[in-house]
Amino acid sequence: MEAYQEFAQVLLAASKFAMLLLSAAILIRCLRSMLSEKAEPETWGYLRLGRETLPVQHWESIIGSARSADLRVDRPKVGKVHAVLTRNDRGLWHIYDVFSKGGVWVNGEKVDESGAPLEDGDVVNLNGTNTRFLDIPPEKREKLDAARTAAGKTVSPSLTLIDLTLFQLCLLAQHALSASREHLPAIALGFATLILLQWCCYNAMRLIHRSGFEVETLAFYLSSLGMSVAASSTPEDMFKQILLTVAAVALFLLGGWWLRNLKRTSLMRGPMAVLALALLAVNVLFSESVFGARNWLEFGGYSFQPSELVKAAYIYVGASTLDRLYRKRNLFGFIAFSAVCVMALALIGDFGTALLFFVSFLVISFMRSGSIATVFLAVTGAGLAGFLAVSARPYIAQRFTVWGHVWEDVYDKGYQQTRAMSAAASGGLFGKGAGAGWLKDIFAANTDMVFAMVCEELGLLIAVCMVLAMLALAFFAVRSARNGRSAYYAIAACAAVSMLLCQLALNVFGSLDILPFTGVTFPFVSRGGSSLLSCWMLMAFIKGADNRLGASFAVRPADQDTGRRREEDGEEGRKR
Amino acid sequence: MKKITTRALSVLLIAALVVVGLTVYVLRYIDHGRDWALYFSRANSGSTGELIDRNGVSLAAFSASESLFAGDALTRTANYHVTGDYWGRSGTGLLSAYWTDMQGFSLVSGTTQNESSILHLSIDSELNKTAYQALGPDRKGAVLLVNYRTGELLCMVSGPSVDPADADAVPGEGAYINRCLSSAFTPGSVFKLITAAAAIENIPDIDSRSFYCEGKYSIAGVDIVCSGEHYTQTFEQALSNSCNVAFAQIAVMLGQDTMVDYVRRYGLLDGHELDGIPTAAGTYPTEFVGDPELGWSGIGQSTDMVNPFALLRFVSAVGNDGVLVTPHLLLSGEEPERERMLPPETARRLGQMMNYNVVSHYGGEERFPGLALCAKTGTAELGDGTSHAWFAGFLSDEEHPYAFVVLVERGGGGLTVAGELANKLLQAAVSR
Repeated sequence: MEAYQEFAQVLLAASKFAMLLLSAAILIRCLRSMLSEKAEPETWGYLRLGRETLPVQHWESIIGSARSADLRVDRPKVGKVHAVLTRNDRGLWHIYDVFSKGGVWVNGEKVDESGAPLEDGDVVNLNGTNTRFLDIPPEKREKLDAARTAAGKTVSPSLTLIDLTLFQLCLLAQHALSASREHLPAIALGFATLILLQWCCYNAMRLIHRSGFEVETLAFYLSSLGMSVAASSTPEDMFKQILLTVAAVALFLLGGWWLRNLKRTSLMRGPMAVLALALLAVNVLFSESVFGARNWLEFGGYSFQPSELVKAAYIYVGASTLDRLYRKRNLFGFIAFSAVCVMALALIGDFGTALLFFVSFLVISFMRSGSIATVFLAVTGAGLAGFLAVSARPYIAQRFTVWGHVWEDVYDKGYQQTRAMSAAASGGLFGKGAGAGWLKDIFAANTDMVFAMVCEELGLLIAVCMVLAMLALAFFAVRSARNGRSAYYAIAACAAVSMLLCQLALNVFGSLDILPFTGVTFPFVSRGGSSLLSCWMLMAFIKGADNRLGASFAVRPADQDTGRRREEDGEEGRKR
Repeated sequence: MKKITTRALSVLLIAALVVVGLTVYVLRYIDHGRDWALYFSRANSGSTGELIDRNGVSLAAFSASESLFAGDALTRTANYHVTGDYWGRSGTGLLSAYWTDMQGFSLVSGTTQNESSILHLSIDSELNKTAYQALGPDRKGAVLLVNYRTGELLCMVSGPSVDPADADAVPGEGAYINRCLSSAFTPGSVFKLITAAAAIENIPDIDSRSFYCEGKYSIAGVDIVCSGEHYTQTFEQALSNSCNVAFAQIAVMLGQDTMVDYVRRYGLLDGHELDGIPTAAGTYPTEFVGDPELGWSGIGQSTDMVNPFALLRFVSAVGNDGVLVTPHLLLSGEEPERERMLPPETARRLGQMMNYNVVSHYGGEERFPGLALCAKTGTAELGDGTSHAWFAGFLSDEEHPYAFVVLVERGGGGLTVAGELANKLLQAAVSR
C-alpha cells in the first residue's frame, strides 16, 4: 500500500511536470507554424494599368484611388472606391460599379450596379482611365500555387499531435489516480475517443492533402481539458460527453465542407436566418426555466440550449461578401435580425448570451461598415437596454451590487465566486491533480466556474495555457483574414473568435470577481453539450479563412476549382 | 478587402482585454491567494498543526474541525504573545506568522493536504507564567530571557495580555501588541552600557580617569541633571552610580559620529527578525545635534528609543564574550547563526563592570541570592513624572547562561520594580 502511495505521488508529480511542458510545446508549435509561415497571398488575376501590373489577390477586390483600395488606380477622376471586382468559386469574374461618379465601361459597354461579367483581356474603363483585365490560365495558376509554401512545412503538425496525445495520456493517468474504479473505464474511453478522433481527422486531412492542423489541434487541446472537467465532475455521464464530442467534430467537418462553396454559403444566409429565428421562437415559447434563465429545451429526454446553436447561425447570417457590402450599403436587415435575436435572448433571460451576440454584432457591423459612429450608436442603445434590463430583473441588479464585494457575503451572494477563488488559489501553480479538487462538488463548478476548477486541479499555469490557446486561435483568425479569399470568410472568422473570446472573458473574470458574474460557459472546456457543439461549429469559420497552400479542408484548392470551371464551362458559355 | 482586414484588428482589442484581465487576476492571486485559499481550505484539506513548548506542553493545536489552546487560562494568557491566535489579532504570534507554513500554503504549490505540522518551541511556558504573574495583569511591560550560548528564547511575555480562548475577555489597552518585538521605548540608563562599551574601546585611559559630579553639569549652558551627587568617581563607579554627569561627558568626549557608529554596530537602530517575525527598529539622534543633546543621548534620554528584543541581543552578546548567537523561538535543529558583535576584551570588561554594579549597588547576594548576576538598571524619565523601569543583563554562570531584559512601562524605579521582577524570573529559571 505504501509502495503504491509512493508510486502515485511520483506519477502525479511527473505527469504535472510533463503536462506543463507539453502544453507549452503545443502552444509554441501552433503559434510558430501560424506566425512563421509567411502570409503568401494567392494571385487570381491581374489588372494592367499603363506599364503597371496589379495582382488581384482576393476574390473580392476594390478598385479605386484610395490608399486602402485593393487595386489602386491613382488617376484623376477615378473615385476612391470606384468598382468592385469579384471572382466566384467557378473562376468566373464580374465587375460592379459601386455608385461611382463617372461610371464603369467594359469593352465600351456601361456597367451598372448589378455588374457585368469580365473575361481575360477585357478593357475596363474607369471614368476615362483604361485598364486591361488579365485572367490567369489554369496551368499558370498551378505554377503560381506551387511556388507558395505549403502549410505544415516549417512545423510538423504530426509532432504537435503526438505532444497532444501525450498530454491526454498524462491527464488520463491523473484521473486513474483519483477516479473511482467504477468510473475509470468510461473515463479511459473518453480520452481514447478523443485521441482516436484527432488522429482520424488528421489522417483524413493527409489523405486529401491538407496539412494545416493548428486550429484542430488547439480545439482538441481545449476539448481534452473539457473531457477532464467532465471526468472530475460528472463521471457518470461520460458516455454523453463522448457522443457529444464526436457529434461536435462531425458538425465541424460538415460546416467546413459547406463553407467551401461561397455561392452556396451566401445563398443559404436567408434560410439560415429563418432557422435561427425559429429556434429562438421555439425557445421563447416552450423553454423551461432552469436557475434564472429559461434557456433550456427538453427534447426526447435530452435537454439542450437552442441559443448556443443560434450562435453559429448568427455569424453565418451576419458575414457578407464584399460586393454585397458595397452594392447594398445598408446594414438595416442585419441590424433588425440582430435586434430580434438579442431581444429573444433577453426574453428568455439569458443575458450572458445576449451580451455575446451583441459583441459579435459590434465586430460584424464594424467590419462591414468601418463606421465607429455605428458602433458608438449601438453601444449607447445597448447601454440603455441593459439599464432597463437591470432595473427590470432584480437578480441581475444583484449581480452588479455584489461585484467586487463577494467576500462580504460568502454564504449567499458571493457563494460561487468566493469558492471559485479559494479553490483556484489552493491549486497553486501546478494543481492538486485531475479529479482531486473539492470545487467540483459545488453547483455549476464545471460550467460557470470552470476556470477555477482547472486552476485547482491542473494548476494556474495550465489554466493560463487554456486561455492562451483561445488567444492563439484569435490571432490566427485575424492573420488568416488578411489573405482570405472573400470578405465573407474574413468577417465570419473574426466574428466567431470575438464571440468565443468574449465568452471566455465573461466566464473567467465573472467567476473571479473581476467582472460581474454572468454564468456563460468557457469555450470547449465547460461541461455542456450545446456549448461544445456551437464551439466546434464556430471553428469551421476559422478554417474557412485559412487559405495557406493546402492548409484547410474548408478551402477548395485553386487547381480544383479551375478544373471544375473547365467542366462546366460549356454550359456556362452557352448561357452567355 | 484591405479595409476589412484592417478592421479585423479590432478583434485583437478583445484579446488585449483578456490579457489585461488575466494579469489582474495573477496580481490579485499573488496578493491575496493565501487568504483566498485558506478561507475554505482548512475545512477541505484537513490540515492539522500544533505548537509545543520545550517541556512538551501543547500551547495550541488545530485540525479541520477544532482550534484549541492550552487547557488553563494562565498558560494561555501568559503565552498569548508567543502563540497569537487563529484570527490573526496578534500579527506577530506564531499562529499568524506561521499559519500558511503550517497549512502548507505557497503561491507555487497551493495548499498541501493532510500535513501535520508541529512547531517545537524553545519557550518554557512555565517560565512565561512566572514572568506574567510577576508582571501582573494590570502592568504593561516586556520580559525576555534567552540562553546566550544557544540562542534559545526561553521566556517572552508582553503585558497586558489576553486569554485567546475566552470570547468574552476584554483585552487591556494594546493587549494585541507584543511589546518585546513590536515597540521601542526610551531606554534611560540601560543605554549607558552602550556608551560604556564605546568608551572602553575609544578612550584608552578611561580606567585611570576620574569623573566629578556635584548633581549637575553644564554643557554649553544646558544643565545635565544627575540623580545624586557622586563627587569623584572612577569609570566603573560612574556606571554603578549610573552617573548622568559622567556619561554625558563621556558621550561628548566620544563625539556623535562614534556614538552613532556604536549604536548602529550593536543593532539598536535596525529592525531584526525573530524566526522571520519582524521586530521594531530603535532611534538615536543620527542627524547632527549639539553637545548638550549628545550628552543627554549618551545617558539614554534625548530621542533615544530602544526595542527590548534589540537590547536582549546586545546583553546576550556581552554575556557570550562578544558573540551574538541569534535568538530564536523554533527548535528547528539547525545550528543558529553566530556573529561577533564586540571584541572579547570589551565584552569581558563590560561584564565585570555590570557585575560590580550588582555587587556594589544593587544589593548583591541579598537582593539576588545565588545569582552570578551582571546587570544594569534604567529609570527612563518620560518628562511627565513617570518613568520606564528597565533591568537588563546576564548570568555569568556556565550552567545557566541566561541573558534577559525586563521592562515595566511607566513602572517607576529600575532596580525596585524591574530588578525585583528579574529576580523572580531568574530564580525560577535557574531552579528549573
